[in-house]
Amino acid sequence: MSTSVRSFISRVVREIRTSKGAARIDLFGRFGLLISALASSGIIVLIFTFLWYESAPIMASPEGGIGIIFNTTWDPNRDLYGIAIFIVGSFMCTMLAIGIAVPLGIAGALHLSEFCPHRLRGTIRMIIEMMAAIPSIVYGLWAYLVIVPWIKNDLGPLFGVESSGLSLLAGGLILAIMLLPTIVTVSDDALRSVPRTLREASLALGATSTETAKKVVMGAAMPGIGAAIVLSLGRAVGETMAVLMVTGNSLQIPYSLFDPAYVMTSIITNQLGYAFVFPLWRSALFSVALVLLLMSVSFTIMAKLFIRWGMKTRGLR
Amino acid sequence: MSEKGGSLETAREKKDDILFRFVDYAKTTSQKLARYLRRQTRSRRTFSDFLLKIALATAVVIIAAPFFMVILQVVSVGIPEVFGTGHGQGLEFFGTFPGPGLLGGIRNAIAGTILLMIVAASVGIPLSVLGAVYITEYAKPGRVTSAVEFAADVLAGIPSIVFGAFGFAFIVDFLHLGMGLIAGGFTLAFMMLPTVLRTTQEALKQVPMTLREASLALGATKWATTWNVTIRAAFPGIVTGVLLAVGRVMGETAPLIFTAGNTLGVPTSVTGGGSWVASLPYTIWAYITDPREYLQVKAHGAALVLILMVLVVDLIANIIMRKVTRRVV
Repeated sequence: MSTSVRSFISRVVREIRTSKGAARIDLFGRFGLLISALASSGIIVLIFTFLWYESAPIMASPEGGIGIIFNTTWDPNRDLYGIAIFIVGSFMCTMLAIGIAVPLGIAGALHLSEFCPHRLRGTIRMIIEMMAAIPSIVYGLWAYLVIVPWIKNDLGPLFGVESSGLSLLAGGLILAIMLLPTIVTVSDDALRSVPRTLREASLALGATSTETAKKVVMGAAMPGIGAAIVLSLGRAVGETMAVLMVTGNSLQIPYSLFDPAYVMTSIITNQLGYAFVFPLWRSALFSVALVLLLMSVSFTIMAKLFIRWGMKTRGLR
Repeated sequence: MSEKGGSLETAREKKDDILFRFVDYAKTTSQKLARYLRRQTRSRRTFSDFLLKIALATAVVIIAAPFFMVILQVVSVGIPEVFGTGHGQGLEFFGTFPGPGLLGGIRNAIAGTILLMIVAASVGIPLSVLGAVYITEYAKPGRVTSAVEFAADVLAGIPSIVFGAFGFAFIVDFLHLGMGLIAGGFTLAFMMLPTVLRTTQEALKQVPMTLREASLALGATKWATTWNVTIRAAFPGIVTGVLLAVGRVMGETAPLIFTAGNTLGVPTSVTGGGSWVASLPYTIWAYITDPREYLQVKAHGAALVLILMVLVVDLIANIIMRKVTRRVV
């Protein structure tokens, strides 16, 4: 290993010495490019290292340890750093959003790819892509001023619940709205890449067009749809501003849709600003960020596995 | 009969004619509809087919509805701020600083967002474009390429608040740069990396091999070929990717909370306390969570400005992309 490295270095040095003019520019340009390639992928290593380094104190201290992931009491004043409450809050909020957005999004994607008139299709795609471009803070503003009062004044009394409107339900709804563009566009692309012949074969066998769409096209596009769902899961867990503004941020595990919740991204946003002078408190917040990072990485890997599965079994993409 | 009566007569006839035509039209359409419905309800299968199609179309309507509701809310409340003539409205909304009581405009936020974008773009674009050039033009397909691609994909999935926490831990705290323009801009630059890298890579892949071969055959070095031929051919695609990334990070709030700080003026220095910088998303957040009513209205105005900026950037990106695909196909 060391001899090969040494020979490589000596070769490089020789090349730098002997090359002239254009060849030298070529060589230096090559190294410049290599460095920027390494730097842009090195950021991820840097992020992981720093979150690990920052969350080490709480993991090593007697107050913390790995057990904080299962502990539900968060009270930094008494040195209790259970982050499970935020993990549960995030999980419930995400599941609610996914439960709303996935069926709706796949239905919309099916309509767009199979039944929508060609001219309307472009317009709807454009609207949905614009939805993806709207910043999350604007969704948060709208949810805070429209959805929250609606839950407080209309939906709560309808179910006989006294609620401030700042609730798990509000978070789930706005998250679902924000996830829909991702799910629709990715599933639509997957559905459209299904070969025409499959549809024709199914229709020729006498299936109706929705039977074809449901059983044949969706079956063929399943890996793409799976990737869409996993990608949107990642976005849902990591969404910050909109959820922060509408979930109420109270330290409790929500037992009904109208209860407030506290999610992982919110606790970091709310408390890092003044917790950074307290080593353990700060470290606990960074451990929440580390959990978020690990989750998002595993979602990305899962989406990649879905795509690979699709390539292997269906030859898509 | 007099002329008058005649005109009345013709008017009545005309009216009858219109009425008749309408009745006729209604009849044929209802017949058509009835025939259509009969055909759809001919059997259980065709009927369920019909119902499902309607349900799918409804889903699209439900999906698109929030877009219009959001835009309606922001526009209806924000328009007076952006086009009104009162204090801190209209041109003053763009041209003045918030001032006492935050009654003025949002010049600090607009200037701050533009400054942050300049810093982020000047750090993020070279790094990611050159990185993409390396993995598509120089590296042999294999470990390095797939490692960089994987890193970019992972980076794209990382939550924005994690970038914020990282920026705080690394740039603000570890490097002792403090909050401000540099820390905020670099954090946004990291968020731009994956988008620009992947779109540049796609754009470079679409450049035909023959162009490179022609250049190399003329005796150009690899570097000269890449710089003068390949990048030039892929340039519109690269610009599209850059604009998409800029549009995406322009609306980010979470990464800026712990890295950029906030100010009611413009940054006066590059480092230290004077470099704290405001941004549109942060201002919207601060205003909307403020109990004062008029600040909530101002937040709508700021949101309208932000949406317009993001959509214009995206629109330019789309136009360039469409032109390019037309040329290539």
